Amino acid sequence: MADVNLTLRESKAPAGQAGTAAMPGKAPFRFPAGLGGALPALVLVTLFFVVPVVALLLRSVTEPEPGLQNYATLFGDGTYARIFLNTFLVASVVTAVTIVVAFPVAWMLAIMPPALGSIVFGVIILSMWTNLLTRTYAWMVLLQRTGVINRTLISLGIIDEPLPLINNLTGVTIGMVYIMLPFMILPLVGTLRAIDPMTLRAAALCGASPFAAFRRILLPLSLPGVAAGGLMVFVMSLGYFVTPALLGGTSNMMLAEMIAQMIQSLLNWGLGSAAAFVLLAVTMALYALQLRLVGARRVGGGA
Amino acid sequence: MLLDYDRMGWLRVMLLGITGLVTAFLLLPVVFIVLLSFGSSRWLAFPPPGWTLKWYGELLADPAWLGAALTSMRIAAIAAALAVVIGLFASFALVRGEFRGRNVLRGLLLTPMVLPVVVFAVAIYAFFLRLGLGGTTVGFVIAHTVLALPFAIIPIATALEGFDKTIEDAAIVCGASPLEAKLRITLPSIRIGIFSAAIFAFLASWDEVVVAIFMASPTLQTLPVKIWGSLRQDLSPVIAAASSLLVLLTLLLMIAAALIRRRFSK
Repeated sequence: MADVNLTLRESKAPAGQAGTAAMPGKAPFRFPAGLGGALPALVLVTLFFVVPVVALLLRSVTEPEPGLQNYATLFGDGTYARIFLNTFLVASVVTAVTIVVAFPVAWMLAIMPPALGSIVFGVIILSMWTNLLTRTYAWMVLLQRTGVINRTLISLGIIDEPLPLINNLTGVTIGMVYIMLPFMILPLVGTLRAIDPMTLRAAALCGASPFAAFRRILLPLSLPGVAAGGLMVFVMSLGYFVTPALLGGTSNMMLAEMIAQMIQSLLNWGLGSAAAFVLLAVTMALYALQLRLVGARRVGGGA
Repeated sequence: MLLDYDRMGWLRVMLLGITGLVTAFLLLPVVFIVLLSFGSSRWLAFPPPGWTLKWYGELLADPAWLGAALTSMRIAAIAAALAVVIGLFASFALVRGEFRGRNVLRGLLLTPMVLPVVVFAVAIYAFFLRLGLGGTTVGFVIAHTVLALPFAIIPIATALEGFDKTIEDAAIVCGASPLEAKLRITLPSIRIGIFSAAIFAFLASWDEVVVAIFMASPTLQTLPVKIWGSLRQDLSPVIAAASSLLVLLTLLLMIAAALIRRRFSK
């Protein structure tokens, strides 16, 4: 192995092809081994991601004039405070509902016979891969005043008047939970599969009731997965644009929609960029927290 | 006993019931849209009073829909190809490189996936306005390549991490050049990762709405932009027909993915 590495090092391999195991003391200064391959990606992301985003954020303190007045407006005005509050409210409700709905499904998927489980997995992937607008359109039709759900409930005699299911918190919650469920179920299945069934058998042998075993063993052991998945759903919900814009009402606008409106319709770049910075800062802070929760495990691995 | 499928008793019945309901919930909108697209009611009454193909006829007769679909296809194909090639090189650097700040680099390259897309959309919109790239195919492709890159890097890097590098080294010891070893040993071994990367990168662009809304011009619209515009006017059944074709495409992609995975794993 050492020989192989040595030959690799001595051959004039272009950057990006050097060996893996670093041998301290043997390597003289050279171009960082293997960095070369990342250069196209680095240039692309720097030029067309970092620069535009930083330039946008700078506009929040330079337009219409230098200073922090955009942030003062954003945090001082009741209208914007309500949008912030509503954004957190929607994201919290969506996260809570998603966790509660996803947990039993993930639990079953973790232990189900594979033949049955693969059907459920197939449906999850189908819904996840179906065009976002298609799914949102379906919910718009299903939830509208004269939609299938209201009609069915009326014909069953459960309600007399159509329920307001769209353009409000209910509509956004249903549409968003629908989109977020796969992101919660799939990682949670991994967490639950990693739990040794023996520990629960032991609990039962020692006389724990199923509820006690759930509360004191299964739930605590699955908590890291729930927290990581929940945080991811929360962060994604905070910045969501399409579904809240189509299923939500004007009275409960969310932050992403406000940013888009500020810039596209009102051309208020200063305030729009300030709002974008707030969203970015909160997202990144929560994301850092998630990285810490997940521990040393790498981002995006697994499913 | 809570993780023993065969010894859960009533709890299993309950959990299976919930799983069935959630599966139905996930399936409901997809099936509903497909059924609706064949229904004869312009007001989307359900169950439909009759069955018809006229919404598909209207869809295919409208050059705007077809044009939008072709634009989407073109942009997604180019963006996916670029993302996979750039992502492949980047993955080698991220997995095998030894340089300081490798984890920072990894984080940076994956950031476009976690940053709220609306922030990027607004930023790149402003940037391209200045460069004169707004509403152009080039602008679209660049923006979508940035967004698709993490979706290409993750599967390729994961596959590369799982590949035993000593096999590649062995080929070199046996006389292959480093490049030859990579092309003939390493790349074929990580092809599932590359294939997944291509699918995910394609979908990342094909399904992308937010950046597209900002980037689109009256003459250059992707399919999601066209759907978005129609949705804001009315809930016409033509959208259901377009949506059903998208569902069909998703199904075909899933089947292709499953088939290729099966063939590769043999």
